[in-house]
Amino acid sequence: MKLRNLILSAGFLAMAQNASAEIMASGSAMAWQCAPCHGTNGQEFVEAMPPLAGMPAKQFIDAMIAYREGTRPAIIMDRVARGFTDEEIKAMAYWFEKQPVKQWENTSLNEALEADATARSTGGQQ
Amino acid sequence: MSQLENKQFDSKITRRDLIKLFGATAVAGTGIFGASQQAYAKSAAHVVVLGGGVGGATLAKYLRFADPDVKITIIEQYPEYITCLRSNDVIIGMHTLDELTFNLDTIKNKYNVNVVIDTVIGADFDKKTVRTAKGDTFSYDKLVVSPGIDFRFEDYEGYDATLAEGAFPHAYKAGPQTLELRRQLLALPQGGTAIIATPQNPFRCPPGPYERASFFAEYFKEHNPTAKLLVLDPKDRFTKDVPFKKAWERLYGYKSDNSLIEWVSGSEGGRVLRLDAKNMTVETEGGSYKADLINIIPNQRAGKLAQIIGLTDSSGWCPIQRDTMESALHKEVYVLGDSSIADEMPKSGYSANSQAKVCAQAIADALKGNAPGKAIYSNVCYSLAGQNYGVSIAAIYEVRDGRIVAKGKSAGVSPITDKPAQPILEAVYQKNWQREFVKDVFS
Repeated sequence: MKLRNLILSAGFLAMAQNASAEIMASGSAMAWQCAPCHGTNGQEFVEAMPPLAGMPAKQFIDAMIAYREGTRPAIIMDRVARGFTDEEIKAMAYWFEKQPVKQWENTSLNEALEADATARSTGGQQ
Repeated sequence: MSQLENKQFDSKITRRDLIKLFGATAVAGTGIFGASQQAYAKSAAHVVVLGGGVGGATLAKYLRFADPDVKITIIEQYPEYITCLRSNDVIIGMHTLDELTFNLDTIKNKYNVNVVIDTVIGADFDKKTVRTAKGDTFSYDKLVVSPGIDFRFEDYEGYDATLAEGAFPHAYKAGPQTLELRRQLLALPQGGTAIIATPQNPFRCPPGPYERASFFAEYFKEHNPTAKLLVLDPKDRFTKDVPFKKAWERLYGYKSDNSLIEWVSGSEGGRVLRLDAKNMTVETEGGSYKADLINIIPNQRAGKLAQIIGLTDSSGWCPIQRDTMESALHKEVYVLGDSSIADEMPKSGYSANSQAKVCAQAIADALKGNAPGKAIYSNVCYSLAGQNYGVSIAAIYEVRDGRIVAKGKSAGVSPITDKPAQPILEAVYQKNWQREFVKDVFS
């Protein structure tokens, strides 16, 4: 992509994010709420709940919508997913996709901050 | 000393400055956000956090995510923290207290947080300072208070904190009382009677007393099958009562003649009025009950610190701005967790962790002069109705009309099904959740 187009699309993205900020929480704010079960930033790879860090966005979106619509069997995720709109699910998906695929305890603060910055700068551009 | 007060320290410290100050080796590999791990700019805002439990520790960690440069100090009374969550497990030997004991070392080292072990004895909201028992004064730009709960012993004639520390533990803060209750359960005579008296709403961990009751019944089933547990309740309903009672029917003969559990509701006179410690008797609105073990879980209010520094209202709890957790009584002061009035959110560890994240982002936004984003909260409470039988409640929350309420159609408890996999998997997830949750808080 040419630099000019990149800047333009980044500008539109920023506008879109500003417009939606009034009606929904940010991707990271929502993603943080998943941490008690799925690990800080979705980086829990040794427990029964699936890790969310690095999950392809489409896989996350399809799973959440299926839970919400009751087409995928669940223990509690059906109840959780019913709290989110399509747009909110997408925002979380794009944020998680950019998180490091490694156990949280082995991730430095800087890696986490950089992954968050990357996710914020590219969020919604899928 | 004059050199150290050079003006350059008032500006944001850059990587280059750091190299000059500390040498390249110290700075190597710290990455683009590394500056804050080495030193604070003198001008950095200072957030002081009172309480290093679930709310306070989570707040410090996530505030660091939201603002790499802010200065964060936690003032906590004890060098180690025992989680109340899963402390029912200790009563039946599923966990030890050691396994539930955590410290703030990782919070301090990984997230560059000052940790002060001291007791706060006062706050001056005009001067924005707090004072400690050791005589120190801390200035803050933002103050966060996460003080847990305090007990209303005065609601029960004949019961007090001294008896709770002795032969009548409430065991509703994890510690020596938890171990004493375990000792009493194991020492219960064959065919003896135990009483668990539950508090009125609102209180910490709404399913806690009923999970404890379930564990008592499970223990009796195996070790003391003619014993009986009486649950005395001032309420007619309790959280997850439908799946809990179903589990009691399936596991403990609830509602049968041989039931190990009997539950006396508020309408049936279950409210405890008085403890006669000498005669091992409790008096309720419905009558007197003699027992071999009496566990009164008292009514509650916001933690003592919140009362002392003036963050509570006439309800005994702390009113807050729902979208930021900022106190409704004092600006620049935030209240997290059990002490706060959070409407539909239960007083759970999960809620405190959730609120801490919203609060961390709100503080970071406020310090940068940004408008707060939309708040989103969550809670999942897994409880055990038996060691391998889980029940849960889950919801996502948003702020609507000035209250924290369930978002979408998210709120719900475990369905009653004929599939054994549901409760078994919930019990598995409960155990996974506990291990994962404490990592999100303390690691």
